[in-house]
Amino acid sequence: MKKLARRDSMNARIDVVLRKFRSRMNSYPPGMCPLVLYRSLLQISMNQTCGKCVPCRDGLVEVDRLLCDILNGDADEGTLSRMESMCRMIARTADCAVGVVAADLILDSLREFADEYESHIKNRKCIENVTQTIPCVTMCPAHVDVPGYVALIHAGDCEGAIRKIREKNPFPTACAMVCEHPCERKCRRMIIDEAINIRGLKKYAVDKVSARDAGLPPKNVSTGKSVAVIGAGPSGLTAAYFLSLMGHHVDVYDEHEKPGGMLRYGIPEYRLPKKRLDEDIESILALGDIDMKCGTKIGRDISFEDVRDSHDAVYLGLGAQLGNRMPVEGADGKNVIPAADFLQLVANGNAPDLTGKKVVLIGGGNVAMDAARTAVRLSAETVHVFTRKRDDYTALESEIESAMQEGVRFRTLLSFLNIELDDDNAVRAVWLQPEIVGEYDAYGFVTTEHSSNYPYRFLCDYLILGVGQRSDSAVFEQAGIPTVRGRIDAGLTTEVKDSPGIFSGGDCVTGPSTAINAIAAGQVAAFNIDEYLGYHHKVLSDTPLPAAVPNPCIPTGRAEIEEKDPFERRDNFDFVEMLMTDEEAMRESGRCLRCDYYGCGAMTGGRGE
Amino acid sequence: MICININGRDIETAENFSILDAARANGIKIPTLCYMEGVSDIGMCRLCVVEVEGFKNFLPACRTKAADGMKITTESEELTAYRREMLDLILSNHHLDCMSCAANGTCELQDLCNRYGVKHSSYEGSRREIENKMPVLSDNPFITYDPGKCIHCQRCINVCHTIARNGTLRNGRSGTFHMVDAPFGKGYKLTGCESCGNCASVCPTGALTLKTEEKYRNWEVKKTLTTCPHCATGCQFYLVVKDNKVVNVEPAYGPSNHNRLCVKGRSGSYDFVHSPDRLTDPLIKDRETGEFRKASWEEAIAYTAKRLTEIKEKYGAESLAGFACSRSANEDIYMLQKMVRTCFGSNNTDNCARVCHSATVAGLARTLGSGAMTNPIHDITHDVDCILLVGSNPEEAHPVVGMQIRKAVQTGTRLIVVDPRDIGLTKYADIHLKIRPGTNVAFANGMMHVMIKEDLIDHGYVEKYSEGFDKLKETVEKYTPEYVGEICHIDPKKLVEAARMYATAKKAPIIYCLGVTEHSTGTEGVMCMSDMAVLCGKIGKSGCGVNPLRGQNNVQGACDMGALPTDYPGYQKVDNDEVRQKFEKEWGVSLSPKPGLKATEVFPAAIEGRIKGLYIFGEDPIVTDPDTHHIDKALRSLDFLVVQELFMTKTAAYADVVLPGVSYAEKEGTFTNTERRVQRIRKAVEPTGNARLDTDIITELMNAMGYPQKRLTAAEIMDEIARVTPSFGGISFERLDAGESLQWPCRDKDHKGTPIMHAGAPARGKALLYAVDYKPSNELPDEEYPFILTTGRILYHYNAAAMTSRVQGLMDIAGEGFIEINIRDAREKGISDGERIKVMSRRGEITAVARVGRKVSQGETWMPFHFPDSPVNVLTNAALDEFARIPEYKVCAVRIEKISNEC
Repeated sequence: MKKLARRDSMNARIDVVLRKFRSRMNSYPPGMCPLVLYRSLLQISMNQTCGKCVPCRDGLVEVDRLLCDILNGDADEGTLSRMESMCRMIARTADCAVGVVAADLILDSLREFADEYESHIKNRKCIENVTQTIPCVTMCPAHVDVPGYVALIHAGDCEGAIRKIREKNPFPTACAMVCEHPCERKCRRMIIDEAINIRGLKKYAVDKVSARDAGLPPKNVSTGKSVAVIGAGPSGLTAAYFLSLMGHHVDVYDEHEKPGGMLRYGIPEYRLPKKRLDEDIESILALGDIDMKCGTKIGRDISFEDVRDSHDAVYLGLGAQLGNRMPVEGADGKNVIPAADFLQLVANGNAPDLTGKKVVLIGGGNVAMDAARTAVRLSAETVHVFTRKRDDYTALESEIESAMQEGVRFRTLLSFLNIELDDDNAVRAVWLQPEIVGEYDAYGFVTTEHSSNYPYRFLCDYLILGVGQRSDSAVFEQAGIPTVRGRIDAGLTTEVKDSPGIFSGGDCVTGPSTAINAIAAGQVAAFNIDEYLGYHHKVLSDTPLPAAVPNPCIPTGRAEIEEKDPFERRDNFDFVEMLMTDEEAMRESGRCLRCDYYGCGAMTGGRGE
Repeated sequence: MICININGRDIETAENFSILDAARANGIKIPTLCYMEGVSDIGMCRLCVVEVEGFKNFLPACRTKAADGMKITTESEELTAYRREMLDLILSNHHLDCMSCAANGTCELQDLCNRYGVKHSSYEGSRREIENKMPVLSDNPFITYDPGKCIHCQRCINVCHTIARNGTLRNGRSGTFHMVDAPFGKGYKLTGCESCGNCASVCPTGALTLKTEEKYRNWEVKKTLTTCPHCATGCQFYLVVKDNKVVNVEPAYGPSNHNRLCVKGRSGSYDFVHSPDRLTDPLIKDRETGEFRKASWEEAIAYTAKRLTEIKEKYGAESLAGFACSRSANEDIYMLQKMVRTCFGSNNTDNCARVCHSATVAGLARTLGSGAMTNPIHDITHDVDCILLVGSNPEEAHPVVGMQIRKAVQTGTRLIVVDPRDIGLTKYADIHLKIRPGTNVAFANGMMHVMIKEDLIDHGYVEKYSEGFDKLKETVEKYTPEYVGEICHIDPKKLVEAARMYATAKKAPIIYCLGVTEHSTGTEGVMCMSDMAVLCGKIGKSGCGVNPLRGQNNVQGACDMGALPTDYPGYQKVDNDEVRQKFEKEWGVSLSPKPGLKATEVFPAAIEGRIKGLYIFGEDPIVTDPDTHHIDKALRSLDFLVVQELFMTKTAAYADVVLPGVSYAEKEGTFTNTERRVQRIRKAVEPTGNARLDTDIITELMNAMGYPQKRLTAAEIMDEIARVTPSFGGISFERLDAGESLQWPCRDKDHKGTPIMHAGAPARGKALLYAVDYKPSNELPDEEYPFILTTGRILYHYNAAAMTSRVQGLMDIAGEGFIEINIRDAREKGISDGERIKVMSRRGEITAVARVGRKVSQGETWMPFHFPDSPVNVLTNAALDEFARIPEYKVCAVRIEKISNEC
């Protein structure tokens, strides 16, 4: 008799293990040796051999043996070349992907991690500083003490939590609303169940206690030094905040009417209410010694040279606020607007009336999602998002999901061709080229090519181009600040190339990125400027942490922050997220494993700051 | 045809060819290890990888189809290096005990390593650890599996699954390692493994070997191509001989076996040749003491001739009879019947086809004009739509045919099994009609009733090539499915479906065996099979026909050679004057025009005193014929009995003179298999002791009886056969040795033989649609004897087990007789599985071990006839068929009882 597969068949049981395995992979801690990871990959490949063909079943074993030799310190240069030729042989002679890909993986590693291999062969150890660190602290670009503030929240001390955040990041409220939370990505809790909802807990803290009332770290006495910060966005204000804490005077220049940069003029109200942003900014300014010079544009109201000459150091936090237009005919037509410009119009209270209009968005990033959801709230009849491929949706998945819930329609495999204008010089339609998926590129992303189908005309009344932003850097370029394709040429220390005393970070260096990256840059810049000025000022902590207690590690669900009903939220700009309850916050914060105390966090250098 | 380029050479090749096929066809050598044509192309060894332009990876030539325009490079430095690397890796997990390995000299890995200069592995290997802990599996008496030498090419698994279709060798796993799950360890008897050893014959190394391979090295032996001495499939194989001793059998690519062999053929074909109890000298029985004494050939021949001549003179020619041996060669049989006809002066010659397929010979001759299997085995087991299998258990009785049927039905051929038992093939059968034994005629009439009623018949064929349709239609009218269902104990709906399935299939052979013939209505049963095929126009066409599977290796030949009381060689009738005159002229004596007695009639005639002298060549009727007590009485009634034999059989013990002949391995000759294919047997070893060629014994006896018979070689005898037998007219050793495979009729030197008979029109001109009513079996169960007993064969033994019982391994696997009983009957009688019970019929009583299950229906029992411990023919009924005088082995009434414990 034929049989159906048993529900508890070996395969089904293995699937359970694989789920656990996947979470191990997802929570793979930072600071590990890549070669041992490759060894695991190789082991898995060996596990997956069906045992049929010699190269895969017997060859991979020998590759593993060579890799072990390397890890055991028994290898020489010959080992590498033997491993390489063995892998090449396997990749060329294996029958199926199990063997071919396994060998290719090791060949990749030889290319990608040549330095690590060399270190193992020559020194019998990993490259320096490759030590395991606390995942959340490491992954947060600003290295905020996440386990610390989560513990404070769990102890009921939300003020303390906010102060703990402020030791590294002066935007607890804004980050509570909009941070991309890279800290959650490798949370060790994933080994057990799911990552801690770190952003959710932070939001709970700032909802519970206004950042305005939480208090600030102790400030240094005045140093008499003066630093200019150009741009009052998250990076500029962070730099100003830390410089002020260190006792320096700061002048902040910004062309807009109010400070906040993209947090104010880019992120829509429904995601980050301006009132809430002000709680952070007002706290920063409350430190004193920060002169906000709003409505002041460098090159228009004051020259860069004047600013530079009148300060001991300069921080350029220009951001990237100019929306790109495509180099196609009609890009300057009426009702064609870059997404950043569109969001800024709305933030300034000059929202266009989109009632009854068909809106088209090109692009799939976070800014594009913000624009799409904003268009929905401006009563657009339809909002369509077109992208060339799925990988073009770089926005947070939750943003895409929310946009869908609110009625935004998504179509992929349509590349943008050109804009059709009507007699009024206003957009009438976009032309799109159907695509087909092709091979993957070197970075592992799928490429597309034009399909043989005819281009596709899509009627629209309003076209938003979410295809990137650039910095308003021309004035600085003219003043001799080195740039690369319009971006300030600064390195990981934020020092601008060949320009002593000039520092820069955030979007104007990296291109459009996240708030937390900009904050990290401002923080790094402040410390480096301090050092440039000849000091080693500390930012003092006055918030003791509750003692860590062992966690029973009982698999427990993750408390999510819910959004309001999509139908309720789509016709206004009210904040969309609901509150996390006390009960939820206690359970959620109780899930934290306190990696700052247990495991590598206890080791010197193990924090990942 | 497509064009490819190999190594710069443009080559035209067939579209379905692999790169390897194309290369080989053009003499380009690509090394292979795991690949085996028709068996395995899984691409494990990667030795056959080649470079193909446009592909980054090297591609395995064995499993990559050649495509138009391909540019292929088969040799390069890199390829050679990689091939060496593969061997290196394989060796890393291979036990290098080549010195004591049975495969030394035949090992394909050894050969390739030698060719590529790989002496030992440069790697540690990974499987050794685990494989060292895995036991060598050698509980099976014939086959051993040593995991340490396995290279996991999976040929064995593939041959088991796709060729032998037994499917008991499986893929296994231990951690990351592939394992061969071989059924040769403890409990091997329960695995379903048939011990056919096809796996061992495809193993490229010494991992899977036949135990007998340890006895010799390949360079010490000579191999002789010959024909299997067991069933009539006619498998071709080589006898492997070391020091005048057969030590093994290796398969050959014969037309009926294509390298396959079964357990009997492979492992049961030579031990008996060298058995210590072979007869080495002529024996003469002292009438006073009843003891045998050795005698010289001169004395034995003279004495025998004298006694036979005396009887002939005293009681007349009709008082002498001679039975031929259907296991012996055509040439022997021809000479024997010639002796009976020329020296004895009667037509009292017969062979044991009388008790197996005489009904076929008679029945098919009557309806179609020729009494033999119509189509070749390959033709009816490959690319057919439906097989109607009636009263045949080929998996046991004709295993190599069984393997091919399994393959067909597992790859899409429908199968209708008509059999009272749950034979192995029923698990693949679309329909199993588990009919009551002895109801074949009713079943066939029911089938034909449905075919006619639903108008499924081939009107064109029936009109043009048959006669008797109206009578048949009238006869089968009353055989409605419901009526037949009652007689046969089957579901009428299944019968209707079977009729539709067979009739509407494009290519559908009827394959039948003793379940049809061994009845008191056997000939009628056979004619009904023929009727069904004729009605549907399935005669004379590929994949169709009426196909009896003959029992013994040369039972077809024994009939062909005229060991029949009614026929000279080639079915030329003794009562035809013209024919007789031809033979009188050829043989130089006057011949009797009177048809002789059939074998089953000879015994009663002996009891009645009409037969006084009997010459039995290689038969053992005391064991094989029904109603043993009756045969015992008959043999005791004889004045003089001569037995020409290899062993002191039970029958030989009755003889006055025993003449030691030689086995198939010690002589030249031919066997004719079930599909009428005349195939050579060749002398591989010298005869044992003073045993003599059977043809020489007969020749000397003929001369001693006054007939001037020149001593002829087997080839010369075949020339004489060809001269007097039109259907053998073109057959000669010369042609067979040149590699031709000939199926009679083969009328002259230019005729290629006849694979499919009745092509165009039936041999008879018009096929006879023979209408007959169902008649119940002669002896039906009653209150006293409430069970039906059917007899049959099992895989591991052959006939009276004279050959197979001398193979210890076969006796280990299956060494005792048994009786199958339905579980409900057993419960009722308080009989448990494995218990020895009493079985009684009106004719006698024996004991047997009970096998309780559902294989047989309630009220029915089944016993194999091989085992001396349960001599089932003590029970069977000698009721004879009206036409062929075949006895009703398949149905008699018995009683079963527990053996009481009280002493």
